[in-house]
Order: sequence, then structure tokens, then C-alpha cells
Amino acid sequence: MRSFASRFAEWLRRCGYLARKADFDEQSNEEAQFHIAMRSKELQNEGITPSEANAQARREFGSVLRMQEDSREAWQFNYFEQIATDIRYAFRQLWKSPGFTLAAVISLALGIGATTAVFSVIYAVLIHPFPYAAADRIIRIATEDKGGNLHRVALTGSQLQLIRKANCVEDAVAWLNWELNTTGSDLPEDVKAVFITPNASNYFGVPPLQGRGLIPGDAPPAGNAHPVVVLSYSFWNRHLGRSPTVIGKTLQMAHKDYTIVGVLPPRFAWNGGDVYLPLQISYDQAQLYGISIRLKPNVSLRAAASELQSLFQQFAKDTPTRYPENFRIHLERLNDQYINGFGRMLYLLFGAVVLLLFIGCSNLSILLLARGAARQQELAIRAAVGSSRSCLLRQLLTESVTLSLIGAGTGIFTAYAMVALIVKWLPAYSVAREVVIDINLPVLAFSVLLALLTGILFGLSPALQMIRPELEQVLRSGTRTIAGRAATKRTHNMLLAGQIALTLLLLTGAGSAIQGFRRVTHVHLGYDPQNTLDVEIPLHPNSYVKQEERAVYFETLRRRVAGIPGVTSVALTDHAVPPFSGAMQRVEIMGESGREWHQASLNLVSANYFSTLKIALSRGRLWDTAEASHGARLAIVNATMARQFWPHGDPLGHAIRLPELKPEPPFRVSIPASDGWLQIIGVVADSQNDGLLAPVKPAVYISSTIWMDMGMNLLVHAQTSPRRMLHAIRQQIALVNSDQQIPDYTPSLDELVQIQPEWQQERLVTMLCGIFAGIALILAIIGLYSVVSYAVAQRTNEFRIALGASRNEILRGVLSSFSPSIGIGIGTGVLLAVGLDSFLTKLSEGTGGHPVIILAVVLLLASACTCACFVPAWRAASVDPMTALRNE
Amino acid sequence: MQPSQFLPGTLYMVVLRTLARGPLHGYAIAQKIKEASEENLAIEDGSLYPALNRMLVKGWLSAEWGISESNRKARFYSLTPLGRKQLQAESKEFERLVQAIQLVMRTV
Repeated sequence: MRSFASRFAEWLRRCGYLARKADFDEQSNEEAQFHIAMRSKELQNEGITPSEANAQARREFGSVLRMQEDSREAWQFNYFEQIATDIRYAFRQLWKSPGFTLAAVISLALGIGATTAVFSVIYAVLIHPFPYAAADRIIRIATEDKGGNLHRVALTGSQLQLIRKANCVEDAVAWLNWELNTTGSDLPEDVKAVFITPNASNYFGVPPLQGRGLIPGDAPPAGNAHPVVVLSYSFWNRHLGRSPTVIGKTLQMAHKDYTIVGVLPPRFAWNGGDVYLPLQISYDQAQLYGISIRLKPNVSLRAAASELQSLFQQFAKDTPTRYPENFRIHLERLNDQYINGFGRMLYLLFGAVVLLLFIGCSNLSILLLARGAARQQELAIRAAVGSSRSCLLRQLLTESVTLSLIGAGTGIFTAYAMVALIVKWLPAYSVAREVVIDINLPVLAFSVLLALLTGILFGLSPALQMIRPELEQVLRSGTRTIAGRAATKRTHNMLLAGQIALTLLLLTGAGSAIQGFRRVTHVHLGYDPQNTLDVEIPLHPNSYVKQEERAVYFETLRRRVAGIPGVTSVALTDHAVPPFSGAMQRVEIMGESGREWHQASLNLVSANYFSTLKIALSRGRLWDTAEASHGARLAIVNATMARQFWPHGDPLGHAIRLPELKPEPPFRVSIPASDGWLQIIGVVADSQNDGLLAPVKPAVYISSTIWMDMGMNLLVHAQTSPRRMLHAIRQQIALVNSDQQIPDYTPSLDELVQIQPEWQQERLVTMLCGIFAGIALILAIIGLYSVVSYAVAQRTNEFRIALGASRNEILRGVLSSFSPSIGIGIGTGVLLAVGLDSFLTKLSEGTGGHPVIILAVVLLLASACTCACFVPAWRAASVDPMTALRNE
Repeated sequence: MQPSQFLPGTLYMVVLRTLARGPLHGYAIAQKIKEASEENLAIEDGSLYPALNRMLVKGWLSAEWGISESNRKARFYSLTPLGRKQLQAESKEFERLVQAIQLVMRTV
């Protein structure tokens, strides 16, 4: 073989030709003319006339153009032509064996598609969910009480200033959420308004799509905030149809005009606001604001928490009612609330998908190796006939690359399709609002690269084996030698076993996920969410400022809605819409010293709340309407509270009080001495009140007339889907009060269960795990089927040579040679599954591998593999012996 | 008698040998081969120059424009050291083949 140096030199010479191409034709023409002239002279010396001599010389030389073309060809890079031929040949080969091509492409496509899709989701959801500047330093502040419950924090204007000056704080924004509606047009539309301090633009660092963000000048320290508004992308889309000329126009909300100064990009969704308005901080001690801070760089959460702790202790001294006793500051990064549940599952899913990628690649390898082994004979013949090794190598390489590229192309397409599918299926609240899921290009590139490498490496294997050619042997003995080539067989078996093991692992994971999902969905809720709608009734500020007025108003609404045909019952409640019902409050028990710290979840309900939700009354009684209208001080507790607070007795007849239940007129109104003693008259059964899976909190239920906030919820239960009656409900409410706005969002209790992250995440992960496991199984079957087909084809000669070999013998032979790999694969898989069980349990919170699942999976896999072996063996073993001999 | 065709693969060898004594232009190479073989070997003019180009690409020859004996511009080809090596290798191989065939013809 020629050395690399000589080939390189030749390549350089050809490059030199390229540089002199223009002159070449001229020069070769000159050479030709010289030759012709010399010949002509020779002819003239023999006595022929000059003109005749010229003509003859020209004739003898032949076409000058032809000579130029041929000479030129000697210099040209003919690689492109070669490659074009190779590619055509490759396509023909792939077309001739459609089963193999399809299997290979599917393996690659699914592996690449699934991996990229899932990792893109992980990246968008966990690694880079927020578009805000330095989003990892933005902190939510909460106070954690002795019971481990978290409470939101709200600060006054002066407290806000102190926070801003704290050492660990780089910047802070304060906000107020408000429900406004658009006025001045036909239909009032709900607007979620977020009043926010105008340093928000700097704080979030998200450049507006149009116009400008809020600037400090919008809320000058002296004077009022300017009436300007910045629109969110979704509001701009929904209400203004993405009209390009909104800047400068007026938006009227709650009968006040605001000038639109900007539109935000789609990923900005702080507090889920529709519009953002400048907030003027007032130093009124009664006005509280929500707050978000960004820490300085390199400040740990612990350091920040301890500094803030002392600050907040001071605040608590000033306003002790707003803070629990002995609280601790709890800081949380923006994404933490989403990461803790879903994040772990996503990583689990990612592990599953990486497995799938490897399974896909190993499947491809198996297919290529099997095919390569089958083509040994063909390659040997071609080499003997005169194809150079480099020529064969080049063709094989082209074939592998073509196949890999087709597979990779399909894989990219699959990746995009899968991401779109996942986005469609993604549960609404499991990820932060700001998340936008897109294909992650580095991962796509990695998967594609890996697939290409696998394809090329294993596609070249038959040619690489020819580095030590034993051509004559191969030609003579047909495929006998090939079937027994130890190295190939070993690689084959290892790949097969490995693939089966990984498939088993994946199947087990899917089984566990399915089991976990069933646990979540069939958990005992304790209440019946079917056919019940939650309609929120928010109050405008300064309306119904007296307790009686408000109670009567809500009761009127309730009765009107209850009168709609088809509605079976309507309950009133504030804070008690399951599965997250109640607000934690301090509870004092009469007869105890007061040094005891008790907390319970407070639910303000109407008496028919329990019947509407079908929560059973275990002991005692409920209050009646007369008692409710008088605001009688009666209470009902749930079984958990009865058990925790009166472990040795009966709560009935005891008295409790809620010292924090004080009125704050004109916003929160109550009966006189609402924080006084309440008598317990009944115990109800437990119902989930802290999400779907968390243990039930102790809960106390009192009449909604005792204490009312700026709004109430109607729980409307109907015979069929109450959503159909939404229009009638709105009508009835409008008849009572035409200014009463109802939010657009009126979920049913079923939906509230289904939007719970636990429910949705489990469902998504289960679905995906199931799909991936199914894919892995299909791939394993395809791989096994192909390998066995090829192996049997090789052996058909082997066995038939010893004439008289029956079909059973062939089948037995094939199965016996493959069962070790299958067996080892399954065994290894089981070991892996059991070994990873503890690890998996920690990740997926208690849904580890149950022995029953593993057993079921083993059976499934074993039977699938047996079928995959049996069918091709059966088919090929039925080949006519004469045909087999003829192959020899 | 018609000049016989070159045996496959021997064209290069013959051209290299012709140039072993010194550089020649294309026409002279063709003449030399005809004369030396006593009219038994002849290169088709149309295939001479492509062959010469191929040998240039392979680095066995180098070419230069010069003045012929009739005072005309002509391209002269000469052997490179690589070409000399190639000539040695090919002629050795050829000798071997010929001896082997002769052996068969004489003894069998």
C-alpha cells in the first residue's frame, strides 16, 4: 500500500493543478499541436505533400479535445464522483434489506428523539427556567413556625426600606396583587394587576418586547404614581390581539385611564400578572406589601437567613400579631418549590432515557454486526476479484454513514415531535409559569454524534475484520468459519445480554412508576370532588363593610345560585377549597396553661359544606342556619385534630379559641369578639387538606359568618357537570349585584385534584416511562429477531450439510446458542434492578421496585425474547434443503 | 504487421524506461518506443499524453517547457527519483512474471 506521505504529495500536486487550471488547456493544446507538427514533418520527409501530411498527422492524432479531456481527468480530484457512486450503491443496499434498514433507523430515531426531548424538558424546567437576571439569587421569604409550617411574609413600607439596606440584599421589589377589570368597553374583563415598585425593570432585567418597562420616575417619592401600565405578553395577546400599535394608547381599568407604555416578552410572568403598574410605597402601618429580594453574589442562604432573622425579630416585636411565636426565617429560591417534587422525578426520567439511548445504539450495533457477518462472503469475493481494500472500506463507510445520517435525521425529527408532545401533555402547574420548553441543541448534537459514531464503528466492523484476510479459507468453506468466529460471537452475545439487561431495568422502572401513579390517583380523598364547581366571589374594596351586610350578601348569592335548576347544593367557604383547604392558625384550648403551642387549619364554611362535599359527620352535630345567621360561636373539628388534641377523650363540649382571628376593618370583618371561645359540637371524618399525599392537618371548621375576608367561594354541586350552568350562575349573581365580577377561572374540584403537581407529574412520568419501556422492549425484540434471522441463515448451510438434520435440531441449535445471552441479560437486569432499588426509592419517594413487578417484567421479557428467537428460527428452518445446498 | 497492444500495466514501465537515459518530449517518447521495439510496439497518440499526465500526478515524472531540436517550444518529461524507483520495481516484477511463464511453457 502506498504510504501516507506519497498520497499526501499526490494530493498536493493535484492542488497545484487547480491553481494552474486556466493555463492547462492552452498548454496541452500546444503540446498536441507540436506533436502533430512533428508527425507531419516526418510524413513530409517520406514524400507526402505538406497539406496531405498535416491532414494525415491530425487524423492519426485523433481528437485533440479528447486528449485534453483525458489529460485533465488525470489531475482532477475524482473523489466526488467516487463518493456519488458509493452513495448510490449504499442506498441500493439499504433498499434491498428494508427490514434491517427500518430497524436500524427506528433504533436511532427513538434513542436520539427520546433523549433529546427529555433533556430539553429538564433543561427548561430545572436548569434554566427563569428569564430573570441572576434568577438563582432571587429569594422568597417565609417564616417557619414550630410546627414546620411556612407562612408568607408581608411588610410595611418602612420595614421594606430596612430590608433594602440589609447587608445581604442587593435589591428588592415590593408588590400588591389586585383584581381589576377593564371598563369602558362592552364586556368587563378580569385583569390581574400587579402593582410593583418601579425598580422592577432593573430587578428582573428582562428587556421589554415593545416600549419600555417601569422606571423609577413612574412612582416619584413625592406625589402619586403615574397612571402608566406595562402589559404582559399573554394579556396583550388575549385582550388586544397582539396589535402592534398599543404603545401610547389608553387602557381603562376600574374606571381609571392608564397609558400603555410597554409590552413584556412571553417569558415574563411574575405573579402571573396581566398588567404591571407602578407602586407608590406608602408608610401607612396598615398597608402591607409582598416582597421579593435578590441576594448579593456569593451570599449563602444560611448567612442571609441569619441576618434577616434578626431584622424580622425586630419586626415581630413591632407587630407581634403578624408573626408566629418563635419563628425561623425560611428562604427559598425561585425554582425550589417546583424542583423538590418534580425535579427528582425528572432526573429519574432522564436516567431512563439515557438507558434508552444506549439501548438504541447497542441495538444498532447488533444489527450492523449481524449484517456484517452475513456479508463476509460477499466482501471476500469482491476482494478476490480485485476491489482494493480501501475501495471496500470506503463503500462500507459510505453505507454506514448514510444509514447513520438517515437515522440521525429521523432522530432529529422525532426529537422535535416528542418535545411538542411533551409540552402538550405537561401538567399546567408543575413548572414555573416562565418556563418555555425548547429543543436543547447541545444535547441533540451529542445524541446525533453518538449515533453516528456507533453506526460508523459497527458498520465498518466486517471490513475491519478483513485487516487479516483469510480470503481463501472464507471462499472455500462458505460461511462455516464465519458462524464460528469467536470474536464476533462474543461481541454479539455481550451486546445482546447488555441490551436485555438495560431493557429489563427500564421495564422495572416503568412498572414502579405505574404503581406509584395508581397510589396517587386512588388515594382516599375523604371528600367527593365530582360535579362540583368552585366560583370565587371577590369583593371590591370598601364594599359591605359591616359584618351583617356582608353575611347577608353572601347568603343571598348562595341562595340565588342554589335556586338554579340542576343545582343540587351550594356551599359557602373561604379558605376551604380542597385539596388545599384551611389556613393555619394558633389554637388555644380551654383548660390548658397557654404555654402549649397548638395550630390547626381554619376553615370558614357554611353548614351544608359537609353535605355538599359528602364529608361524613362522625360524632355530634352541625350548626343550623339560624345559628349561622346569628354568628353563633360553634366549631367542628376533624378526626385528626380530635386525635391530636384530645388523645384520651372526646372533644365534644370542649372550648377552643383562635386568638389571631381578629377583624381588620374595612377589609376583614367579623362578629364582635371573634377571637373568643368557641364550643366544639361535632367531629367530622378526615379529608385531604394539604395536597394529595401529605398527611391530613388538624382542622377546625367554623361558620363563615363569624369572620369574613374580602371574598368568598361558592362550591356549586350539580347533577351533571356544573360548568354548563356557569352562564346561569353568572346571571344570577349579576342580578343580585351587577358590579360583582367573577374571575374567568372557575375550576371544578376534579380539576383541582388533577392540576395538583403530584397527580400530573406522576401521570406524565408514568406515561413517558411506559412509552420508553415499550420502545425499549420493541427495540430488544427487533434486535434479537434480526440477529437470530442472520444466525439461522448462516447455520442453514451448516446443518443441512450433515443431511438429515431435522427442523427441531436446527431450532434447538439456534435457541441453545442464544439462550445463554438472554439468560445472562435477564439475570444481570434483575441484579441491577434490585441493586438500584434503594436508590430509586429515594428518588421517586417510595415507589421502588416491588418484587411482583420484577417477576412480571422478567416473564414478559423472557416470553418476548423466546418469541423473537422462535419465529425467525422456525421460518428459516423451513427452507428447502436443496436451496440451502445450492447456496454452498 | 500490426503493432501489438501493450500488455496491461506495462505502458508505464516502458515509458519510464524510455526516459531513463534523459528527458524527452512526448513525440520523441513515442518515436523511441517504436524504433526500439522495431515497430512491434506503438502507443496510440491519444492515450500517450493522458498516460504521461497520470505519471506526472503520481510523481514519477516531472515536466518542463524547453526548445526542441527544430527550435520549437515543446514540453520535456524527465524521470524523478521516485520514477526511477518505480521503474526498478516494475521491471523486476515483469521479469519474474515472464520467467515464470517461460518455465511453464518449456517444462510442462
